[in-house]
Amino acid sequence: MRQFELTAPTTVDDALATRGTFLAGGTTLVDLMKLDVLTPQQVLDINGLPLRGIDTSDGLRFGALERMADIAAHPGVYPVVSRALLLSASQQLRNMASIGGNLLQRTRCTYFRDVAMPCNRRDPGSGCPAITGANRMHAVLGTSEHCVATHASDVAVALVALDAEITLVSEDGERVVALADFYRLPGETPEVENDLRPGELITEVRVPRLDWASRSTYVKVRDRQSYEFALCSAAVALDVQDGQITDARVAAGGVATVPWRLRAVEEALRGKPVTLASFEDAAAEATEGVKPLAHNAFKGSLLKRTIIRALLELTEGELR
Amino acid sequence: MTARVDAPLKVTGQARYGADHWFPDMTYGYLVLSTIAHGRIEAMDVTSAKNAPGVIAVYTPFDPLVLHKPSTFLGETWVPLQDREVAYYGQPIGVVIAETFEQARDAAMLVDATYEVLPAVTSMSEGMATAEDPPPSRFGSQSALELLADGVASIEDAIAASPVVVEATYSTAPQNHAAMEPHSAIATWENGVLTVYSGNQASNLQADELAGALAVDGDRVRAVNPFVGGAFGGKGRTSAPAFLAAAASRALGRPVKAALTREQVFTATAGRASTVQKLTLGADKNGILIAVRHDSWCSTAMDRSFVEPTGQGTSGQYYTTPNLSLSQKIVPLNLPPTTFMRAPGEAPGSFALESAMDELAVALDVDPIELRLRNASTAPIGKDLQWSSKHLDECFRIGADRFGWSERTPGGRTDGDWLVGMGTASALFPAGRFPASVELTLRADGTAVVSTSGADPGTGLLTVLAQVSGESLDIATDRVTPRLGHSTYPAGGFSAGSTGTASAGTAVMVAAAQVIDDLLGLATAPGAPFEGVEASYEGGAVVGGGRTMPFGELLHALGRESLTATGTSAPGEEVTKHSFGSFGAQFCEVRVHRWTREARVTRMLGVFDAGRIINEKTARGQIAGGMIWGVSAALHEALEFEESGRLANGDFAGYLVPVNADIPNVDVEFVHHPDTLHNALGAKGVGEVGIVGMAAAVANAVYNATGIRVRHIPITIEDLLID
Repeated sequence: MRQFELTAPTTVDDALATRGTFLAGGTTLVDLMKLDVLTPQQVLDINGLPLRGIDTSDGLRFGALERMADIAAHPGVYPVVSRALLLSASQQLRNMASIGGNLLQRTRCTYFRDVAMPCNRRDPGSGCPAITGANRMHAVLGTSEHCVATHASDVAVALVALDAEITLVSEDGERVVALADFYRLPGETPEVENDLRPGELITEVRVPRLDWASRSTYVKVRDRQSYEFALCSAAVALDVQDGQITDARVAAGGVATVPWRLRAVEEALRGKPVTLASFEDAAAEATEGVKPLAHNAFKGSLLKRTIIRALLELTEGELR
Repeated sequence: MTARVDAPLKVTGQARYGADHWFPDMTYGYLVLSTIAHGRIEAMDVTSAKNAPGVIAVYTPFDPLVLHKPSTFLGETWVPLQDREVAYYGQPIGVVIAETFEQARDAAMLVDATYEVLPAVTSMSEGMATAEDPPPSRFGSQSALELLADGVASIEDAIAASPVVVEATYSTAPQNHAAMEPHSAIATWENGVLTVYSGNQASNLQADELAGALAVDGDRVRAVNPFVGGAFGGKGRTSAPAFLAAAASRALGRPVKAALTREQVFTATAGRASTVQKLTLGADKNGILIAVRHDSWCSTAMDRSFVEPTGQGTSGQYYTTPNLSLSQKIVPLNLPPTTFMRAPGEAPGSFALESAMDELAVALDVDPIELRLRNASTAPIGKDLQWSSKHLDECFRIGADRFGWSERTPGGRTDGDWLVGMGTASALFPAGRFPASVELTLRADGTAVVSTSGADPGTGLLTVLAQVSGESLDIATDRVTPRLGHSTYPAGGFSAGSTGTASAGTAVMVAAAQVIDDLLGLATAPGAPFEGVEASYEGGAVVGGGRTMPFGELLHALGRESLTATGTSAPGEEVTKHSFGSFGAQFCEVRVHRWTREARVTRMLGVFDAGRIINEKTARGQIAGGMIWGVSAALHEALEFEESGRLANGDFAGYLVPVNADIPNVDVEFVHHPDTLHNALGAKGVGEVGIVGMAAAVANAVYNATGIRVRHIPITIEDLLID
């Protein structure tokens, strides 16, 4: 870790007026500073900013500094969101990590985290050793020849499924962006992970009201039972009327470079009866465009199976 | 007394481990590691590092700290910086000493090495073609063994003549001990005497290695190690930071603290070898073995410093067979060195043998326990010396009953969307002893002190020393203060080979008999309280002539503060009469999700015959820890080396070990049969046998649940995806 200067602004205006790296829970930033991946000279501790509050009266609204643990425990939060949070990291990390920071967390690609190795995301143009290296954990969707790193967040997958929006402020003013549009595919510029502009701060996360999201879940498949990133995950919400699926939201994690909305799967589910065959047919749509690497070819199959499992869990006792 | 003598200190944070010590004027060392797998260092630019704030010195092969390879009964130990050769990625090639840890670390990042890069061999599959016989005089170096029944010309003939044959190749992944306490040391020199505070498995061994490395007399080196944060074989030898701290402290005249980071531990220490094992079992229709062939390959470092022998301790001992063939080859690789790790040889070897036995049970349609009992050995195969005490059948009987084995069906069962299977395996680990000396002191305040140089890296040895001393002196355990981890104590209690209790415990019995004898001598001497009386010792007191005097009171009366005796014990005649081992029956239940194929262990049970159990709680801890590590090897742990030799998962985010949620229920039971043919105490070892067989039990349960036979560990989701 390099020397840095730490200040703690108490108003959003003060925070925006100072150039520096924002520190919320610190669970990504401090980790990467220790690894020398991030070397900010000016760190702004924003925990004193009034970016708090959990409101579930009309959809969901979270202040950006709300902790993962507090949102997960809030009774009005849709199951897919709280489950995604509870299956993330550890209780200690969830107690520290903010929702805003979670959405900005960096990839867990081991090459990104090792400064002795090239990485196009960390050092543009230096190369991507993951493409030919240890890539079992890497993405099969949304990849490019420059980067195959997986997006690490669980809750972002749930939020993308629910059409969440985030509020961003800078000295130029405030804007609201759909979370799904916020993330950028690596393409030719893997160093650009999202639409965050210099000096911009996430202040709020909003999820539009979706009553039938009370029937939702997050299934996370991983190499151990807790405290591990997803090999594959599925965020699914389902609207079922009289044994028919009337609407669905489906997104996947652990398999793509950004939280991966699966609109084709949703479309395939709409109007179908609640049967295993419907689920299998719809899940087959998930793997459109899958590009396996040497060690992660199983992820296509696993993605379909994860979606089917989530659908089965949401319709237990109703399957025809 | 608490259940563990050291527990209050540990749970309140007062136990001072090696790196917890602090000295005025202390400096900090940070190691620099290589970033190629094979080659020669052409240059190291240390200019900016030397000019960085707080830097005191930078040592490299171009400006080294002189160290000599020490040689002990473990063989030679590698020391860093003595040449420019690089044999693996992550090898220590330099050390920066600075006023603070942060300054040392920052400067270390400025050291720039340039290399002449040479071709590297970094995978087993690549190295197998040029496998070699193990070098002589290494642990487990026996390269081949063949026993054939009369009239049988070859093992191939014996296999060909077997009505039922299973043959398969198994492989196991390389592992790191990943102990909680990273390898570290603090070294100080005072008046020409070096004191090193560092976690290890025997302080006397560490002192010997340091004296050899620094070319100073043994009496000028003291190794201090009262607490160890996990060792498992990985702290038997002295670590690179300990050698460097000691040498740098001498060069600089200041205390030096050097510790590996978690990431550095994965390459700058030694771990467990990869293994490949080809097993062939031939049996008759009743499952009686006719032939066993076990051909083994293990990875080793380019210096060929360690062999992980997978056949000898398994196929060479488990099952009676008239025809046996074992072979062991080594595969030198440009990877970090290998060394002892909990049940070296037996842990990976039992995965292969006990998986193969399960395959044979399937082929014969025989219950896997029944198959094992039909073939259970009465002695190591081909040896005349029978097991002194073996109650494996009882372990299986109790275990099967307790685990509900009778409910197991060949195709497993289902519970909702989970496929549920049960698996079993045998465990065996040789029981041995190292020579051990302990010092036992009776004090005038009525307490006793027992001291030996070895270590309690969580094993419970400290507590057991107090218990055995209390028992031998016929006093309450809490009147005994046990001391470990100082090289000035008598040499004993080496934490290795599952020998600590049997070795140090028998030495305590000898010391106690001696100190009691000496006490009685003093008590009955002219002018002493029991002069002219027929005196005896009982209940911590001298008794005779109608009087009873506790030893403390007697020492007072004699004007003495204390009375000390040393006891020594070593393997003796018993090894010419019997073979010795600890045995166990492992059971586990695994669930595999029908759709997403995660394998999760939901129950496990181990029933063990380990002789007399001195302390049920610490023994259970040892066994449970071993079983959990077996699950970890079966489902999680693997060092993943890239073709370049770089370790792709060298931290706890990438190198998975089980978390609590992976280990819901560990049940441990002992059958209590003291083995006094092995030693007077009757105890055998529990440190390693708990891991043996567990990985196979998991794999066998996975097969029972899914019908998928996975012949490598760790078993991961993709192994169980069928499309």
